[in-house]
Amino acid sequence: MSSQPTDDTGSEESSHIDDCLAIGSIVNSNSHMDYTVEIFNETDRDRPPEPHECGFGQPVFIHKTIDGTEYIIMGVIYDTQLVDPDQGRSGPRLAQGDQPQFTPGYVEERTTLAGVALLGTAEVTESGTVESPSHEMPRWTLAVDDVVEQCPDEVTRIFHTGTDGGLQIAYIERLLDVAGPLGAEVTLAIVERLRDLFSEDAHQRVLDVVEKDVRWQSSVDRGVMQ
Amino acid sequence: MSSIDSTPSTGGGGKELIGTVAGPGEGPNEFIVVTPDEQAVKTGEFITYSVPVEGTDRDVIARVTNREQARGLPETFMADPNVAPETVASTLGVPTDEIDLYRLEATVIGFYDTGMQTFSNPRQLPSPGTRLWTAPNEMLEAILPNLGVDEEAATDTSGSIDLSRVDVEDREGLAHMGWLLNREANAVDIHVPIDEFAATHLAILASTGSGKSYTAGVLMEEMMMPDSRASLLVFDPHGEYGTLSEMRGDETFSGEGYQPEVEYFDPENLRIRISELNVGDVMSILDNPSDRMQERLDGGWRAMQRRESRTWGVNDLLDEMRQQYGEDDSSVGALEWRLRRSIQRNDLFTTDANVPLDDLVAPGRCTVLQMDTLSRRDQQMIATVLLRRLYQARLAAVRNRGEDNEFDGEIIRHPLFALFEEGHRFAPATGEAPSLGIMRTITSEGRKFGFGLGIISQRPSKIDQDVLSQCGTQVTMQIQNPTDQDAIKNSVEAAGEEVLRELPGLTPGQAVVSGDSMNTPVLIQVRERHTRHGADSIPATSQWQQAHKERRQQPSRAEAADMGGGESTGEEDLL
Repeated sequence: MSSQPTDDTGSEESSHIDDCLAIGSIVNSNSHMDYTVEIFNETDRDRPPEPHECGFGQPVFIHKTIDGTEYIIMGVIYDTQLVDPDQGRSGPRLAQGDQPQFTPGYVEERTTLAGVALLGTAEVTESGTVESPSHEMPRWTLAVDDVVEQCPDEVTRIFHTGTDGGLQIAYIERLLDVAGPLGAEVTLAIVERLRDLFSEDAHQRVLDVVEKDVRWQSSVDRGVMQ
Repeated sequence: MSSIDSTPSTGGGGKELIGTVAGPGEGPNEFIVVTPDEQAVKTGEFITYSVPVEGTDRDVIARVTNREQARGLPETFMADPNVAPETVASTLGVPTDEIDLYRLEATVIGFYDTGMQTFSNPRQLPSPGTRLWTAPNEMLEAILPNLGVDEEAATDTSGSIDLSRVDVEDREGLAHMGWLLNREANAVDIHVPIDEFAATHLAILASTGSGKSYTAGVLMEEMMMPDSRASLLVFDPHGEYGTLSEMRGDETFSGEGYQPEVEYFDPENLRIRISELNVGDVMSILDNPSDRMQERLDGGWRAMQRRESRTWGVNDLLDEMRQQYGEDDSSVGALEWRLRRSIQRNDLFTTDANVPLDDLVAPGRCTVLQMDTLSRRDQQMIATVLLRRLYQARLAAVRNRGEDNEFDGEIIRHPLFALFEEGHRFAPATGEAPSLGIMRTITSEGRKFGFGLGIISQRPSKIDQDVLSQCGTQVTMQIQNPTDQDAIKNSVEAAGEEVLRELPGLTPGQAVVSGDSMNTPVLIQVRERHTRHGADSIPATSQWQQAHKERRQQPSRAEAADMGGGESTGEEDLL
């Protein structure tokens, strides 16, 4: 769970989606809602994400233009996996320590994969801010190599604000379903993040109820409560 | 019969599509209905569905007996009372509009059989998927009370039977008690057939302040309408019916040259002729008569009753007993003291005066016996003697004794209805009351002689169970006391579980009407009275305030009394 401020990008107060930190690219999908993202490392980007920037519960988005309209597709990292094809083998190295960029691939196939569950969509305005958040399931699919970016807090806030100004977390059931055993944890991570973003007392109370509900349900599912 | 068409309309007359049958319920006559919340169908509502019986589609009436939420927001959304569950639901994107579903349990009452003139159970539950409607207002008006709607009255011009076309307002001899509680005011007026409850007796049972005197007032008003012109006799131990006099000259009650008469008898003109008493009555008012005394009294009383004269008194009786048992019989001596104390010195008993029954009862006359100044025993004595005389007079009329030239008794040629406020005083379950015997007789046999009784009481458990169980029509209002609820359960045949369940939840003015006058127990809101209500609670605080002010304005008695040892001291006055 990561609720640390993402001050590295300098975009935490911004509702702009430009210049957000790219944290990975899509390499696989398990379902329409569930994608695998390979986290960038030093060989992919000059500024790869720090561990806390692509941690569990991190909101992310994919910027896409569909039928002439710009959208962001919101998602959340709900799972991570380490991949090391070289596991248990200590073979010869072709590269020197000062030549990381020219190292042959098979050594660098070690990577971090993140599971991203899609949450919904929002439209991007001409000025680069987002509006009209929707927690419906996106109708279109993402593509391999689509870049996944870290979502600024302000965008997360707008995405979770309903048309009536109230808090909205309408994807929750889908997320719990897609994220499986980690569903409750990732939901609680989002709730925790929303607590910082929505300081109003009324919203905090709603979050309390949601949190209690999720905790209770997960405890029942695990069989520690009735 | 109007078959329910397939248009999903909401019609006039209260017929609205409310839900769909989900399946059979627990009991053989129960089924389950699912309905969305917006169609708020309350418990007790009458619903209808169509079922073919012997080739004809019949509109079967059923009653909603229970209502549960089948679907709704989860309870976890209500974890914080400060947060509305709808807010949580909207946050989580859960739709809140029209998500509630209700599960109704309904019990089949039956379709109205115009041949039998009552409900007939088709012994057939609606199949799942059958659509249900609220029963049309006009239909309920026609079939809920026991009005005897026959095929002719219900057949419309096209030859099919349509109960909704029966206009009960056209009928005579009905008491408009109020309207069905679940429907809007006056949407389904309940008209109770007066003949039915006047013949098979009536019980109005309710705890204090629930409106039993008010309801009795409504019934009395209805009985005094031009289309009924009842002969009413009201035993009023609390003087609650003084306002009935407003019926005199009121246009609502007059018609076709008729005006109801309202007569009041107070204790001054309520005298009992001693010869009207029977020996049992006298025994009941004497102080602990010994067996020997009872035997002496019995002998003396019989001899006196054989005499021509009806104007004998205690002295004549004592003379008679001395003749029979000797001048110095000690038992007669002891009786003398008791008779003089209980009868001779009681203003209620006279040797000659007797209220003529014709003055007391007449068609179109409501006679109120205001007995609020009398002791309970005297009230019972008056009831005993009057009821006995009236009963004998009715008996004589029914048996055509009037044609017998030798018959010199009284005859009343019209049916009677006597209403007893505080009925448990006159027919108590425990303890002695001289009136109990005659009340038992009338309730068990009065039907044949056109003599109906109405018992009003706040303590059903204190009424003699024989009397209560003979009251064919019951108007039951709010009752929370479990003993009284049990008494109703044990003695009132029509009071099923569902009636008893309603009793604690009723508010003043709401009543369950059940028994012979109704085809099925019905929950009603009692209509407003035309005359004022005479038994409102006394506003204690304002009266205290007023009394205190008046007291302060008067000179204090403490000042007036001379306690300083003068000729007259306050202390001496007290002694």
